[in-house]
Amino acid sequence: MGFSTDKLCVFIGLLSLVHAAYSAAQHRAYLRLTKQEFTSLPADVLLQCVLSIVLACYGIVRVVGEFRAIKASLELEKRTWDTLGNRPSFYTFSHRGRFLFHSG
Amino acid sequence: MASSMNWEAARDRLRKLREEQHRCSDEVVSLWEDVLCANSYRLGDELWMVHEQVCIAALDCGNKDVAMMNLHALQEQFPNSMRVRRLRGLFFESQENYDKALKIYDAILDIDETNTLIRKRKIAILKAKDDIRGAIKELNVYVERFMSDYEAWMELCDLYLQEQDYTKAAFCLEELIMSNPHSHLYHEKYAEIKYTQGGIENMCTARRYFAQSLKLNPNNMRALYGLFLSASNVASSKSKDAKTKKDNIKYAAWAAEQITKQYKEVARKKEVDTSSQLTSILHMMDEIQITQTS
Repeated sequence: MGFSTDKLCVFIGLLSLVHAAYSAAQHRAYLRLTKQEFTSLPADVLLQCVLSIVLACYGIVRVVGEFRAIKASLELEKRTWDTLGNRPSFYTFSHRGRFLFHSG
Repeated sequence: MASSMNWEAARDRLRKLREEQHRCSDEVVSLWEDVLCANSYRLGDELWMVHEQVCIAALDCGNKDVAMMNLHALQEQFPNSMRVRRLRGLFFESQENYDKALKIYDAILDIDETNTLIRKRKIAILKAKDDIRGAIKELNVYVERFMSDYEAWMELCDLYLQEQDYTKAAFCLEELIMSNPHSHLYHEKYAEIKYTQGGIENMCTARRYFAQSLKLNPNNMRALYGLFLSASNVASSKSKDAKTKKDNIKYAAWAAEQITKQYKEVARKKEVDTSSQLTSILHMMDEIQITQTS
């Protein structure tokens, strides 16, 4: 089932991202304790960070729904003149309606 | 029919009609009477919108009792609302008691001069009294003040059409096309007006706008027929050179092909037999083709 694997992707991606953040924090704490200068994060944390973002992005894009075409007239294609030309604020009531629909 | 519906389906149907602006007033009233009236307590805040919708629909059907009932419910809930007072005005309008309606509207306009809905009602009253020229005059004043009200432009266009003033109607549609250049319906209607005006130049314009409408929505059957007829007309005119004629014969043939394709598509989808329609269409097209060559 595609739907649940997508959700799993989001979950794992976010979890892994949190884990990467935690690793980074740990690394900073380790550096502070050993009194070393901070230059950059270790490569494995960076890699995990990037990969988990990609995974989460992929999952979210799949989960939120179908893409719609970038086409300005798509919404209008289904409309007909019957609804577009119907103007509620200019309704008049002096027409055949009362004889057609009312049997009172 | 509607009594077998459950209340949720009825609510959704009413919502859809409201959002897409259908005018199926008899359906709205019967949905209310058969299903929702007994379940109105379940609708929550949407109830007031439904009351308004049903009230207008009932007036449209001439069903005074249902309209009164909904109007009273709204009046009790919102005693000072302009929108409800407007509904009262609508009620008097449906009774053809225009003086009383106008009194209500004028009173609202005294408080809120910019209430466009009420201004439009006053124009609608002129229309209902069959004073089309008066309505056009008032509507012109209105669109001068509220230029971005495209509903009004559309109404003005239709009023001009009723008076057979095609040049002015076409101008209104030009405004509408500028407001929404992606709407195939505006292009189609503009082309129809140009087609009605007649003359070879207008026919060429009509053909171009039908083509634009088809570009925006290739399934627009009316535009396909329009393209076919306008291209055939241009092709059969005497004042055009040979190349234009040849091009237009090509356009007409393309439109004819698309029309037959659409018919076949529908026949395939709905599994109905459209062969008799197809033959008559082909017959009609052949006849037009013959008049061109002769």
